[in-house]
Order: sequence, then structure tokens, then C-alpha cells
Amino acid sequence: MTRLPVLKGTLDLLVLRALNWTPMHGFEIVSWLERAATGSLEIEDSALYQAVYRLEERGLLQAEWGVTENNRRARYYKITTAGRTHLRAETRNWMSYADTVTAILTAAQDATPSRAAT
Amino acid sequence: MIRSGVRRAFRLALRRRDGWERDVEDEIKLHLALRAEQLAAQGRNADEAYAEALRRFGPLSESRARLIDAARHREQHMQRTELLSDLRQDVSFAVRTLGRQKGWTAVTILTLALGIGATTAVFSVVSSLILHPLPYPNADRIVHINQQPSEGNNTGISVTISAAAPVVRAWMKATRSFETLEGSQDSHQTMKTANGEQSTIATSLVFPTFPEFAGVRRPLLGRMFTKFDIENGAHVVVLGESFWRNRLGSSQRVLNQTLTISDTLYTIIGVMPATLGFGAASARPIDVWLPLDIRNDKLGMAVMARLRPGMTVGGAMKELDSIFARSQGFEFGKIPFRTMITTPAQKLRFHDSLVMLAVAVALVMLVACANVAHLLLARSATRQRELAIRAALGAGRGRLLRQLLAESLVLSFTGTVCGVFLGWLGLHALIALRPAALGALEAAQLDLTTLGIAIAVAVASGMAFAAMGAMQSARASTHDALKNGSLAASGPRGHGRLRGLLVVSEMALSAMLLVGATLLVRSVVSLQHADLGFELKGLYALTVPLSESGFDSRASRADVMKSVMSRLAAIPGIRSAAMANVAPGGRWFNIGRIEVQDEPPVAKSTSSFVDVNSVQPGYFATMGMRVKTGSTFTDTTAQSLQVIINEGFARHHWSGASPIGRRMRIAQTDSEPWLTIVGVVNDVSTSGAASESTAPVLYTPMTRVSGRPEVLIRATGNASTLAPAIAMLKQLGVSKPTPIGSMEVLMSGLIAGPRFVMLLLATFTVLALILAGVGLYGVMAYTVAQRTREFGIRVALGAPGQRIARSVIAHGTQMAVAGAAIGLAGAYWGTKLIEKELYGVTRLDPASFAVGAIVLIGTAVLACVVPTRRALSVDPMTAIRAD
Repeated sequence: MTRLPVLKGTLDLLVLRALNWTPMHGFEIVSWLERAATGSLEIEDSALYQAVYRLEERGLLQAEWGVTENNRRARYYKITTAGRTHLRAETRNWMSYADTVTAILTAAQDATPSRAAT
Repeated sequence: MIRSGVRRAFRLALRRRDGWERDVEDEIKLHLALRAEQLAAQGRNADEAYAEALRRFGPLSESRARLIDAARHREQHMQRTELLSDLRQDVSFAVRTLGRQKGWTAVTILTLALGIGATTAVFSVVSSLILHPLPYPNADRIVHINQQPSEGNNTGISVTISAAAPVVRAWMKATRSFETLEGSQDSHQTMKTANGEQSTIATSLVFPTFPEFAGVRRPLLGRMFTKFDIENGAHVVVLGESFWRNRLGSSQRVLNQTLTISDTLYTIIGVMPATLGFGAASARPIDVWLPLDIRNDKLGMAVMARLRPGMTVGGAMKELDSIFARSQGFEFGKIPFRTMITTPAQKLRFHDSLVMLAVAVALVMLVACANVAHLLLARSATRQRELAIRAALGAGRGRLLRQLLAESLVLSFTGTVCGVFLGWLGLHALIALRPAALGALEAAQLDLTTLGIAIAVAVASGMAFAAMGAMQSARASTHDALKNGSLAASGPRGHGRLRGLLVVSEMALSAMLLVGATLLVRSVVSLQHADLGFELKGLYALTVPLSESGFDSRASRADVMKSVMSRLAAIPGIRSAAMANVAPGGRWFNIGRIEVQDEPPVAKSTSSFVDVNSVQPGYFATMGMRVKTGSTFTDTTAQSLQVIINEGFARHHWSGASPIGRRMRIAQTDSEPWLTIVGVVNDVSTSGAASESTAPVLYTPMTRVSGRPEVLIRATGNASTLAPAIAMLKQLGVSKPTPIGSMEVLMSGLIAGPRFVMLLLATFTVLALILAGVGLYGVMAYTVAQRTREFGIRVALGAPGQRIARSVIAHGTQMAVAGAAIGLAGAYWGTKLIEKELYGVTRLDPASFAVGAIVLIGTAVLACVVPTRRALSVDPMTAIRAD
């Protein structure tokens, strides 16, 4: 199976989605994404941290030091109200974008043979 | 859960720059470890797993640098937003807290606003008049140059004369002390418009270089006249901006149009901006600028000059004296006129009054600051418990301090905004009330430096006292504050002392102002009711411009005036009329030495100014003056050698004995004839109540009619009944009779200056008094609030309400009395400042001091009334139960 590189800007959306359920630390986010994508997404781990910091700076995430179940100190990230709003809006945008692109791409496939017929 | 922002705020101090760097490192380390564990669990060996973890993470050093960079960015951004949101939070909290105590907040803001507004308004006036009297470049080196008789002034009259053109020419040619000399001659002239309408305009004759001297670069329109215009004798005129705007509607097409000024046709060649003028202290803006021809020997002119840097006034005077002596052929030691150089501020008539006013307003500002200070202190003391509770709940001292500062900032800001508005309003009120002699004050603007200083002082004192209050509250132990609650007598001990001190000093400052204002009010009242020595009511003066109407020969003037006088007498409502050389408000001098027969001769070099007036015999009766001894003139022929003198002169020379029949003269050469004294009349103050009335005045019979004689009219009705007189003059061929002036109006105009200052000072005194009252009220209200529980217990135990009331009032009165005592002592010296402004009252007038003390203490007692009533209305049960 080929692994898809993550499109620019969508990583933020995925991170927010990951945290929508419960606060997590960095590795938990990575693992969650890998599980959710069933291994079909190509993400460099450091890129994820960069995305997290960016989201924190924008006030969409909040960070707090906490302790893992194995008693290790970890930075936990939690989505903020602003983050949730952002996630909702961007999800909607992404869906309609994806639908549109899909629609166009599939329509073009149908068109080719009909032109060949003339 | 404590908000992360708050948590962060506390950690802020602990976290240094490398703090978040280490966080990033830790995070990476943890990630790699967890990833390696995950891979190991999938069955790889440890080394392999770690290598794979590193690979998936990305190039380590590069990634780490990128992450650290991102983290730094994040930290900085978040610090900024947190600071802002904290500030917003503090401010909104402050607004809410202040909103809960509306009365207190309103009083504090109003106090600040009044202080800032009043100070700014008055200092703006003072600064435009005194500090920047002339808006010229290098104004500190600008001086006025006049001449003065060099010696033997034995009449006590100090007169300066303006220099004649030849003298100014000599000065301009030879001076090394001055960069430039500028001559000017102001006057009022009649302007006729194309449709024949006449009006009086303010004109000034100046050199072509004047705009450059005054720092005005270019005309609004057209050009300034040049020396070629003057050499060619061109009749050209340059308009002033306000004249151009108000009278000509700012028309762009005025150039090359003509104006008729005093019957001469002038061509308009330019318009000068309003900044060209003689400063705010001049009577009114100049309407038109005309060329001054320095070559015309007959002209006299006011001279302004700019000293060269480093030259002194004394040295310059010597130099001009010697140039004058050389050019006029005098020996240096024996010049009849000496140069007198004054600074623009010295020239100002209300100089002392304005300085005094500035001092008064500074005092008001101090009172306002003191007020704000103890309003803040009182508040922080009553909030001690609140602050203690918040401290107990974990708010740091810095946080509380910031909270209090935020409150004082909100107060200062609102106060400043209101203050600027009040200042603007006040300045315009002052301008509207300005006396006529300060007409050009119209252009005064809000002085931004003063405004800045006033705001800085108000805000700084607010912050300082807020901080002080916070510190004192914080020092008191939290435990004590909570335990004692409102049982504490008056908060921390330092508070009470400081507040007492503030109230007493406010009271003292107010007392000083009160005494000063009372003295001035009394002065103005005496000025208004002063006996001028002549009867103002129903007295009018009429100037008859004979020579301007073409009556050039002496005979024709005598003829026309004879008809004028006889026809005037026939107009109903006119009781009597008499001609004189000068009417009240004007003066005419003879220069020479007064010689009295049978008295030792006076030194020949003596040269005095002596008031002389030529009058008709009926003058004294018309004026309402009294002939004390002797009679009015009996000989009015051209050869008459009779003279009438005033009482002051008679007393000085004959002290009690009758001077009738004695002879005297004003000698310059020795050829003047001796005059025989036929009568003595009472002293009059024709230049206003404050003018000297006992200086020598000589009245001589009017034996020939001058070119502009004055006619004094005693009428039964008001000025409108005199309209037929004007019509009659026109009939007789006097083409431009001036309007008839009421002496009542004229004389009240002469005390407009002192009245203006008095009005202002009285206003500020009332303001200071109100502020001091508010201050005392604040302190008393606070004290009562503190002692509510104690009062409750005392009432419950059967103490009569009166005793409690008495203790409250006694406390307030004590402070007021202490303040009054200090203030009156201060006034004992302070009134020296206004001594020159006083009239008909001494500077240590006991009545004024008493008024000051009584009003002050009265205000203090009033300020205690509300707190006392509150103390009495305390319901014992509520008071005791209140936590």
C-alpha cells in the first residue's frame, strides 16, 4: 500500500480532530493518527510537533504538563473552545472542497470517451 | 480549576529563556522513547527500534532547531496576548469595582477633571500673555525701546515717549547691540467701502521687514510691500487675515482692488496670516498693514528690536543713549531723553495679576491632587478586608498592586478626558470674558505643555497614592485584617496621620486663597464705588474732528465751535456743555519745570510731565467738580494768564494757606509768562479709580480751539437723547463726528482688567473651597464608616446621639481650625504678592482674614453634616451584627 504525504494545512485539522475527544501528549496524537489512517498517511513525527506548537500559539490548543500512565512527565494538549469552533468550520470546508474536487475529477473521466466518439 | 493563564502568570518569573527550550528537548526525548518502546513491542531489538524512531522523527538536529524556533515564537506570542488580556481583565474589573461606588468615583473623577481643566485653562492664558507674549523667533531677545525724560521728574508721573524717525534712523545705522530694529505705529482709522459705508479699523504702519522679524515667512495671498513701494510713495496696503476673512469673505480676488482709508485710496497687494501681529496682549488684531516711511521726520514710532545674542539690556541702553546724543548734537551727559528698554512681559498691564492668578491656580491643582490622594487612601483603607481576603485566596501582592494601579489608571484616564474638555471649555470662557485691552487673546490656544504637566501630575499622584495605599494595606497582616474586621478604629496608623495632614494642608491652601480673593473682591468693589472727583452719571464726551473736516484756520474753528456750543445748549435733555482740550480717559502734558513765585528756584535741568488741560469756564460745573476756593476763570481772552490748580498741588505747595493770587509757571526756557492762580478745584481721577489723583494738574482757559476739541455734555437722559447733537454737527459741516462716549462706560472699562482677574480668582477660590470641602467630607465619611460599629455599641449602651455627633464634628473642626491657622499665617506673607493690586483695602485687612477663616470653618462644619447624620442613624443592632 502506498503512503500518502499529508496535504499542506490538513495536518492542523487532523491534530485538532485527534484532540477533539480527549487531551493527549505528542506521541499519543501520532499514534492516534496512525491508527485512524490505518497506516496510509506519511507523517514525519517532528512535523506534527511543529503543527501542535503552531496551534497552541493561535490559541486553538492549550498545553499543560502532566504524567503518563507509566509515570513519565509529558506535555498534554487540550483543544480550546476556539479550537473546536475552528475544527468544525474547517471540517465543513474540507468536506465541501473534497466533494467538489471529487465531483470534477469523476466528471472528467466520463467526458473523455464521449469526445473520442465524435 | 485554576486557569492556565493565571498559572502561567505565577510561573512567569520562574521560567527563564532556556525553560521552554528544555521543555522541547524533554518532549522530543519522551517521544523517541515511547516510539522505540512501541517498535520494540512489535518485536524489534532495542538499537534497531531507536534508530527507526529517529528516522521517523526526521533529521534530529534540524528538526530540533525548527521546533525550538517554533516554541520561542509561541512563547513570545502568548506572553504578549496574556499581558493584553490581563490588562483588559484588570481594567474591566476596575471599571466594575468603581461602578459599584458611583459617588466616590464621580467625586474623584470630577476632582481630577477640575484640577486639570482649571490649571490648563488659566495657564494657557498666562502662558500666551506672559511666557510667550510675542510669538516671534528668538522671542527671548526681543525688547521694546522707548525714551524717557532723563531727570528731574518731580511730578511723580512716569511717561515714556516713542522715538522720532530721525532718532530711529540713527539707531538703526549705528547700533551693534541689536540685530534689527522695527518701527511701528498703530492707530485707528476710518475706512470707507465702495458703497460709502464707514467703519473704524485697526491699522499699523510697519517696515517692509516686519514679517521677517515676526517670523512670518510668506503672505497668504499676494506680497508684502517693499522698500521700493515706499520710495515710490505707492499707496499700497496689506490686509490682516481676520479682516480679510470676516470683512471680505476670504475672497481670492481682493488683490489690486482698492480701499479708502482716511480719505486716501490704497491698492490691496497682499494678505498676511493672523500670526503676524503684536501678540496676545495687544488690544485687537491688526486689520490692515500700511507702509511706514522712516524718511518722514515727523513720524514717531513704537520700536521693537532683537538683541544680538549675548548683549545685555543695560549695555544696549548705554549704546542707544550715546548714538542719540551724537546724532542730535547733545553732550552725552546732558541728553534730555534717555533710552528705556523693556521686555514684552514687563510691558503687559496685568502682569502681576496674572502671575498671582497662576499661583492661585497652582494652589488649586495642589488641593485637587491632595484630594485625589486621600480619596484613594481612604478607599484603599476601607478595602483592606477585601484585599486581605483576596490575598488569602492566593492573589500575589504584585497582582493586587496591579489591580489598584489599574483602578487609578481608569480614574486618571477618565479624569484626564473630562479635564481636557473642561480646560477647553474654560479657556473659551476666559477668552469670552477677556477685557478689551486683551482683545488679541482671542487667538490663545490650549497650552499643550501645561496640559501635559497637569495630566502627569494628576496621574502620578494618583498612582503614587494608590500604590502607597496598597503597600500599607499589604503590610498589615492578613490575619489581623480578617480577624478585626470593621472593629479596627481607623485602619493602619500611618493612614490616619497622612490623611489628617492632607486635609489640614488643603484647608490651609484654601484659607490663603480665600483671604486673597476676599481682598481682591473688596478692592474691585471699592474701585467701582470710588469717588472719582467728578460725577459719572449722565456725563458724555464728544470729539469734534475739526481739522479733518477742513476747518483749518483758527478763526473758522472758533466760529464753528461757537455755533456748536450754542446749539448744543438748545437740545432738550442737555443740561450743560463745555469744551476742553482733553476729556476724562485722555491726558495732555506740558514738559518743563514747575516754578512757584517766592519759592526757591528749581534746577534748570529739571524736566517734568505736568497734566495740563485747557477748558471753558463751565467745564467744572459740567464735570460735577467742586471749586474749593477762589472761582472759575473770569478772563477768557487770548491774553488771559489765569490758571486753576487741583487740591493736591495746592496742598503740596501751600499746605493749608490760600494759593489764590499766587503766581506759577511751567518753564522750559525762561521766557514763559507767570500765571496767576484764581481757583482750586478738587482732585479727580480721570484715568480710572486706581490712578493717582493728587499729582499736579493745571487748568488754563481755553483761548483757542484745537483741531480736535472735546465737548463734555451733562445730560438728563441716556445717550440716545444725544442723537440730535450728531445731526447738528453734520449740518454744520463736521463730516466725521465720532460717536458720543459715555463716561460711565469708559470708566468701568478702565477697571475691566482688575475685575477680570478678580472674577477668575474668585472662581478658583470657590473651586478650591469646594475641593477642600469634598476632601474633608471624604475623610469624615470614612472615619464614620470605620467607627459605625463603635457608635452602634455606644448608642446601645445609652450614649446620647448628640455626644457622638459632637465628637464627629469636633474632629472635622479641629482639622479645619488647624488648616485655617496655617493658611492665615501663609496669607500674612502671601498677600504681599497682591499688594499692588489692592485698592481701598490694606493687605492685612482684618475683615478679609476673618471672612477667610469663617468661610473655611463653616465649609468644614458643613462637610461634616452628612457623615454626622449617618453616624446618628446607625441602628445599634445592625451596626453590631455587621461582620
